[in-house]
Amino acid sequence: MSSLVVFDALMFSNLLVLLSLSLTLTYMTLKIPNFAHGDYATVGAYIVQTLNVVAGLNYYVSLPLSFVTGGLTALLSYILVFYPLSKRGADITSLMIASFALSTAISSVLCIYADYMTLLTGGFFRTFSFNDFKVDFFGWKTFLLLPFTTGLVATLLLLLYLLLNYTRLGIAMRATVENPDLAETLGIDVNKTRAVAWFLAGGLAGLAGGLLPFRLLTSPALGSFILIRIFAASVLGGLNSLAGAVLGGYIVGFSEILGIYLLSQPPIYLSTAYRPAIPFIMLIVTLLVAPQGISGVLKLKGGSRR
Amino acid sequence: MIFDLTRFLLDLLAFYAIYSLLTLSLNIEYGYAGIPNFGKAMFFAGGAFAVGAFTTRLTAVILGLSLERFKYRNILIAYQASQIFAQNPFLALSMLFFSIIVGIIFSSILGYLASYPAIKLREDYLGLTLLSAGELLRVIARNYDPLVGGSLGVAVPDFFAPLSGFTKDLTVTGFFLATALLTFIIVDRIVNSPYGRLLKAMRENELAVESYGRNIAKIRMTTLVLGSAVAGLAGVLYASYTRYVYADVFTPFETFVIWAMVIIGGKGNNAGAFIGTLVYVLIERLIMVLKHEVKIPFDVNYLGYVVLSIVLILLLFYRPKGLLPEKPVQTPNIKRIRELKKERNDKTRDGLGFQQ
Repeated sequence: MSSLVVFDALMFSNLLVLLSLSLTLTYMTLKIPNFAHGDYATVGAYIVQTLNVVAGLNYYVSLPLSFVTGGLTALLSYILVFYPLSKRGADITSLMIASFALSTAISSVLCIYADYMTLLTGGFFRTFSFNDFKVDFFGWKTFLLLPFTTGLVATLLLLLYLLLNYTRLGIAMRATVENPDLAETLGIDVNKTRAVAWFLAGGLAGLAGGLLPFRLLTSPALGSFILIRIFAASVLGGLNSLAGAVLGGYIVGFSEILGIYLLSQPPIYLSTAYRPAIPFIMLIVTLLVAPQGISGVLKLKGGSRR
Repeated sequence: MIFDLTRFLLDLLAFYAIYSLLTLSLNIEYGYAGIPNFGKAMFFAGGAFAVGAFTTRLTAVILGLSLERFKYRNILIAYQASQIFAQNPFLALSMLFFSIIVGIIFSSILGYLASYPAIKLREDYLGLTLLSAGELLRVIARNYDPLVGGSLGVAVPDFFAPLSGFTKDLTVTGFFLATALLTFIIVDRIVNSPYGRLLKAMRENELAVESYGRNIAKIRMTTLVLGSAVAGLAGVLYASYTRYVYADVFTPFETFVIWAMVIIGGKGNNAGAFIGTLVYVLIERLIMVLKHEVKIPFDVNYLGYVVLSIVLILLLFYRPKGLLPEKPVQTPNIKRIRELKKERNDKTRDGLGFQQ
């Protein structure tokens, strides 16, 4: 197997890990499988593309903004839709439908935005992808995305670990996830803590979205295109453990890229167009065989080592 | 302005019939039985794929047309078949009924398969499984050419070819509406029977129903098979109306639209489902026709989707029961039940007396 395929799988998995991690974070706080999660990533991708077309900014430079916009979109969806709905006692199916509606609304707004921006700037907005830079990394020529995403995921995981274990906010977050009522009696503002968690999660998704056009052709439908992959990774991880989400992201990402590479080789010669089928099958099999996921099987706990 | 009001209405009503079948189908599963089927598009596709995969081929075989290079020649085959259908109404009609039966069977099998996760998993995991399964079927159908022509799609012969012009449009729409109405009557009878009450009881509290000796797994299975059969029927009608089957039509968005119609109209109320469908189809078709009349720099459809999503979320906030809220199951008159009970008791007593 060529090392290029492995590197490709690593880059893709790094991005998938950011997405599955953030989806798991939102699931842990409200227990809603949020169908709009992929669309936070699309929003991030569109911010980066807009700044590149309008202001000529480098893709990597505008990433902080993709974090902020993704986070704000998630925060708004929490404040305007999920929090009030769950407070009114909506059942989980209604919340899922609401998230489905939210996803449709975001991607439709992005379609309108894309059409309008194309007209205004003449740049590519309906479909686009980013061209990466070749870098010389200690004498080893590679795409910048590979060392960048690997470093980014490592740094973010470390930061998240420190946040959840050594800061008041992080401990409040874990308490809110473990037992919201008890956390409230201890003076933690559960609602605010959840809002922060949603902002963080949306930010991570937006960040991943800002980098996804390097690997995938991006359009307003990017969110629904990657949604089931994100769910496959998160569900494989167990949906209630951040460590599980990271593991799930790498397993699903590597299986998809390496799997379709191997299947497209002799003696099978499967068309690479079947690529999305791999995460779909992984999701279905996980749910049917071990719905508790890796963390449930290994008894991992959310966020902490205990 | 090219706008023919009669044709617009006939087209609208044809789509209304197809969509109300889908809404009815989801209403059985979600509204009555509480099974969140987020893969509705898969069962809709099942009917259409069955037509695309079997009917065009079978027609070709019956008519002695060559099946060689079917992927590229299916449009020609469908065209030739339509020409022959025009001369032979009996053949056209029997092929239509063959399609309906095959579509219903194929979708029912999918529904039967879906009942396996539906028994095992709780609602959010089940939703994900069915959503994913629907997408899997779509990816396979788009890439595996022998099924429905892969990315090119498959043409379907015109079952209504013996007719032409206005008579044809009227007959097609009339047939669709009659099918939808007949299905509605059958389904409404079923859900207003003790079985319907059982579905609602299962939705509210599975444990209680189980403790009364009912088999939850079996009820879920029959519900999914029934719902899928209705969705498959809608798929067949869709394929015979558009005369073309293409995998990428059946996206999760299609599922979302069906859910929106059920929730707008009112879950657990078949009349509500029909109202919700009318609201959606009317808006959608109006946008489709009127968007050529207004000049704005983007596709009006997207604005329509944004409005639909916002309306749906607001409805979940302020009117979660929909426009027409759920009503109690129409059980037989209580006096009649008492009479029946008395008759049965008398019989038993007589029986006992006879034994003594």
